[in-house]
Amino acid sequence: MKKKIIASLLTAAMAVSLLAGCSKSNSSTEVSNDAQNTAQESAAEGDEAASETAVASGEAVTIKLFSNLPDRKNGQGLVEQMIIDEYMAENPNVTIEVEALDEEAYKTKFKAYAMDGMPDVVSIWGQPAFLDEVLDAGVLAELNEADYADYGFIAGSLEGFKKDGKLYGLPRNTDIMLIYYNQKMFDDNGWKVPATYDELMSLCADIKAAGITPIAMDGGDGWPMACFLTDILVRVAGTDYAEIVRNAVATGNFSAPEMQEATQILVDSAAAGMFQVGYDSQDYGTTMNLFTNGQAAMYCMGSWDCSMALNEDIAPEIRDNIRAFTMPVVDGGKAGTNDIAAWNGGGYAVSADSAVKEEAIRFLNYMYQPDKLSKYGWENGVGMSAQDQTAYLTGNETELQKQVMDILKNATSVSGTPINDCGPSAFKTAIESEIQGVSNGSTSVDDFLAAIGAACE
Amino acid sequence: MKENNKKIGKIFLWIVLVIVAIIQLFPLIWLVDFSLGSSNEMFTNGLLIIPEKIRWDNYVKAFVDGNFLHYLRNSFLINTLAVLLVVIISIMAAFACQRMNWKLKGLVSTLLVMGMMIPIHATLLPNYKIYSMLHLTDTIWALLIPYVAFSLPQGMFLMTGFIQSIPKELEEAAVMDGCGIYRIVFQIVTPLLKPSIATVAIMTFLNNWNEFMMASTYLSTPAWKTLPFSVLEFTGEYSSNYAVQFAVMALTAAPAVIVYVILNKHITKGVAMGAVKG
Repeated sequence: MKKKIIASLLTAAMAVSLLAGCSKSNSSTEVSNDAQNTAQESAAEGDEAASETAVASGEAVTIKLFSNLPDRKNGQGLVEQMIIDEYMAENPNVTIEVEALDEEAYKTKFKAYAMDGMPDVVSIWGQPAFLDEVLDAGVLAELNEADYADYGFIAGSLEGFKKDGKLYGLPRNTDIMLIYYNQKMFDDNGWKVPATYDELMSLCADIKAAGITPIAMDGGDGWPMACFLTDILVRVAGTDYAEIVRNAVATGNFSAPEMQEATQILVDSAAAGMFQVGYDSQDYGTTMNLFTNGQAAMYCMGSWDCSMALNEDIAPEIRDNIRAFTMPVVDGGKAGTNDIAAWNGGGYAVSADSAVKEEAIRFLNYMYQPDKLSKYGWENGVGMSAQDQTAYLTGNETELQKQVMDILKNATSVSGTPINDCGPSAFKTAIESEIQGVSNGSTSVDDFLAAIGAACE
Repeated sequence: MKENNKKIGKIFLWIVLVIVAIIQLFPLIWLVDFSLGSSNEMFTNGLLIIPEKIRWDNYVKAFVDGNFLHYLRNSFLINTLAVLLVVIISIMAAFACQRMNWKLKGLVSTLLVMGMMIPIHATLLPNYKIYSMLHLTDTIWALLIPYVAFSLPQGMFLMTGFIQSIPKELEEAAVMDGCGIYRIVFQIVTPLLKPSIATVAIMTFLNNWNEFMMASTYLSTPAWKTLPFSVLEFTGEYSSNYAVQFAVMALTAAPAVIVYVILNKHITKGVAMGAVKG
C-alpha cells in the first residue's frame, strides 16, 4: 500500500516535471573523452573503403542513441548493434553513441531526459500509457509518413505512433499473444489442441490429473496476465475490443458486460488450477523454464519467445517440439479463430530538439530499410517485425516460426495495444498489480474493475 | 550439576550460532554455486545446483563482455573518495556541533541529521535538472555529490553520539598543552573515534557500492559507470543470461565482503558505543 502511494506520487511528480521541463529547449551536447568512443571513432575513420552516401559532407556528426536493449550481444540488442556498426562503416563521419538501460530504468531516465535535452534517437513504445505523456510534452520530432510508403509496414502498424494524424515514431516488432505447447508431450498423452475455451479447460484438467502443470503463467510481473486477459477479452468482444477499452478508459467505468465476462473467465481458469502453483509470485525466467524443462505442458507468452526454438540451452527433445496456438474461441464470444490479440509495441523516434535532427532521421530511415531491422531480426529469431517479411524467408525457418507466420497471415483482425497499455501510467500500474489479486480470488471481479476504473481519473 | 547445565547451555549456544552462521552464509554460497552453472540449470527445484560442467567461462564473459575492470576502477575510485569525504566531513561537523559553542549549532546539526528522512527517489529528477544545468551529468561529480550527501546524515548521527562519550577533560588537557583546534580534532579526537569511523566507512561503502538508481540517471556514457551496470550488460529485452549475471554479482560482491571482513572487528563496537549513548 505504502509502495503504491509512493509510486503514484512519484508518477505525478514525474509527469509534472516532464511538462514543466519542456517549455525550454536546450540540448547540451557534451563531448565525452571516453576511451571506448575514441576507439569507435578511429575504427569508423579507418574504414576508407566505405561507400559514399548522399550526405558524406565530411563533417563529423555524433548521434546519440538511447536504447532499451542493454544486452548488445544477443537478440534484439545484437540486431540493433549490427545495424549501427554497418551505418558507421558506411558513413565514416558519423559516430553513434549508444546508451542502454533496461525497461524500468529506461523509463525513469527518459523522463529525466525529457526535461533537459533528449538524445537524438530514442526507443519508444507505441502505447498510450507511455506515448501520450511524451507527445504532450512535445519532445519527439514529427516524421513524414509519405517517406515510409515503400518500407513495407504492415497495415495499421503505424497507428499507435500517431497523434492527430501526425507520425512520431516507427514500430519495430509485431507481437502476437500465443499459447506455446509441447507437441511431443501432447502426442504421447493423446491430448489435442483445443478449439474452444471449454476444451482448453477440460484439457487443463486432464493435464493436471497427469501431474503436469497445464499452463506456465508469469503472474509475478503483472503484464503477462494483463495480456492474457486482453486475449480473452478479444475472444469475448471481437473487433469491438479496442472500442470497449477506449470507452472504459475515457470514462473510468469498466463495468461493460464483456469486461466482466472476460475477467470472470480468467478467475474461473485460475481457480480451476490452469496455472502452476504460486504463479502469482513467479517471474518471467522461472515460468519460461517450467515449460522449457518439460514441467509444464503449455506456456502463455508473446511471439517474441519463438526464439526458444533456436535456443541451444534448451534440451533438443523439447526445443524441437515447441508449437503454438492462439487463444481458442469463447462460447458466445464475437471473435472467430482468426481474430487475434496482436500489437506493435516497441519502436524508435527522433528527438524534436536534436542538434543533428537531419542526420538522426537519416539513421532512423536506414534502420528501417526492409533489409535491416526486419531481415536481421528474422534471421536472429527475435520475432516478427512490423514490416513485410516474405522477401527473407530462407526455407530454414523452424516449424514454430512458420506456424506463427501463418497465424499472422491468416488473421482477419488484430486487436491492437493490450489493455494494460491503453490508459495513463497510473492505470497501467493499477491493473498490473490488481490482476494478481483478482485471479487468485482475494479480490472480487467487481472490486477489480472498480479499482482499475478509479485509476483512470 | 551446575557444570552440566553450563555444558548444555554452551551446546545450545553453539547450535544457535551455527544456524545463524549458515543462514548468513547461504546467500553467498548460493551466489557462487549458481554462477558456475548454465542459465538453464538455474531453474530446478533444489536449493543448490550441481552443475553438469563447471562453467568458468561465465566469469570470462563477465570480465570481457561486462567491461568489468573499467567499472571496477570507477566503483573503487568513487567509493573510496565518497568514504573519505563522508568520514572527514562528519568528524568535523559532529565536533563542531557537539563541542563548539555557536549560535546555530542546534539547528545545523538537526538539519544535517534530518537528511536521513529524504528518500533518494524523490530527489532523482530535480537533481538531474540541477546537474544538467551545471554540466555535471556524466562526470564523477554526478555520483560523488549525491553519494556523500546521502551518507552524511547517518555518519553525522553516529559520530555525534560517539563524540559525546569522549571525556571533555582530554580536550581541556590538550588546550592546556597548547593544542589548536585542528590538532584537537585530528590528533586527539579522531584516534579515539576509530570504531565509529569504521562503522561510518563500511556503511557508506556498502550503501554506495550497490547503488544503481542514481548512477543510471546521472550517467550516460560508460566513462564513469559503476559495477552495477555490469549486470545490466546481460539483461535482454525479455530474457536474460542469468548465469553470467550471477558471475558478475559474485565478482561485485567480493570487494564488499572483503571490506566487511577487514573492518568487521570495529563495526559492532562502533554501533554499540556510538548509537546508544544519548
